[in-house]
Amino acid sequence: MYGKKNKPDLPLDCEEGGRGLQEYLDGTLDKPESLRFFLHLRECTDCQGEHDRLQGLFRMLESLPDHEVPADFDRAVLDSVPYAAYQAMEPLRRDRVPVYLEEAFLPRFVRARLTRLVGFGIAAVAAALALRGDGSALLPVLIVTGLLPEVVVRLQGLGRRALETTRRAES
Amino acid sequence: MFDRHQDLKTIRRCKRGEEAAFAEILGRYRGAIYNLCYRMTHNSEDARDLGQEVFIKVFSLLDRFDENYAFSSWLFRIGTNHCIDHLRRNRLRFLSLDGGVGPDGEEYEFQLPDSGPTPDTVLQRKEALERLEEVISELPPHYKAITLLRHDQQLSYEEIAEILQLPLGTVKARIHRARNQIQQMLAARSYDI
Repeated sequence: MYGKKNKPDLPLDCEEGGRGLQEYLDGTLDKPESLRFFLHLRECTDCQGEHDRLQGLFRMLESLPDHEVPADFDRAVLDSVPYAAYQAMEPLRRDRVPVYLEEAFLPRFVRARLTRLVGFGIAAVAAALALRGDGSALLPVLIVTGLLPEVVVRLQGLGRRALETTRRAES
Repeated sequence: MFDRHQDLKTIRRCKRGEEAAFAEILGRYRGAIYNLCYRMTHNSEDARDLGQEVFIKVFSLLDRFDENYAFSSWLFRIGTNHCIDHLRRNRLRFLSLDGGVGPDGEEYEFQLPDSGPTPDTVLQRKEALERLEEVISELPPHYKAITLLRHDQQLSYEEIAEILQLPLGTVKARIHRARNQIQQMLAARSYDI
């Protein structure tokens, strides 16, 4: 009648049934538990009666009539909106990027063209030595460290451009 | 129930100061918020004032709205808290099931009318809903709010937990207790719904 996985382990007693009836009606019990309730309710007229009463209450609670909103409701709200303030704030909001994407987030010396050029030079020399077969373990470290300022600055720029593109698409 | 993506697009237009976008949000949520306020206060004038105050507050605080959450959750949180604050400020006294102690210190019991069934089913149903609204209006504010969010707005336990910023277990327990209290209040008044 039901799968092995959903087979209820133990029959339910009325005390347990009373405690979990709301969850059963809410549909928040897992399948085997729900099945135990279903089987118990089929057999027990007392619990079935309680189930029906509670279900009736749920239905009534969900069918409370809507009250009509007064006709003048919107005017007071819409008159109070600070449209001008939002419009004035818009340019500031549009340009805002996360702190880690702002140029100033990186120290000035990392952003400096000289640092990036020197770093690039060191990385290039280290790479050339590595290609010639110099086996020093320091070379990979020099390559990575040398490229780091350039890579970080470029990634930040890419992040800013990606954000701008996304915002344009969304608006 | 509410379209989170659509709301976000409209909120971004609101943040640009587009008047039509504010009207759109109002059109989408006006009924839900007004009815929440009405059922919390059981008074149409209070409901109108509170509902308008909720929207005025929300519309002036849009920059504080965290776009990682649903706008509807944020709106209902502000609405629910506003109503609860209002009820507390006005020190409404909530009726106990059995009665209470009067100003002169004398104990009293409620004299509740015993309404028998009428032959007209439609009328019966209307009366039952009125009784239920009356009972809901007398629940303590936090039970009232949670019942309305669950049954009137038909939100999930998880959504209610997000709105009220409560643990899921607390939400479940409160809803269960609120329903039990409604049943007890209905029974105490011999209201058969």
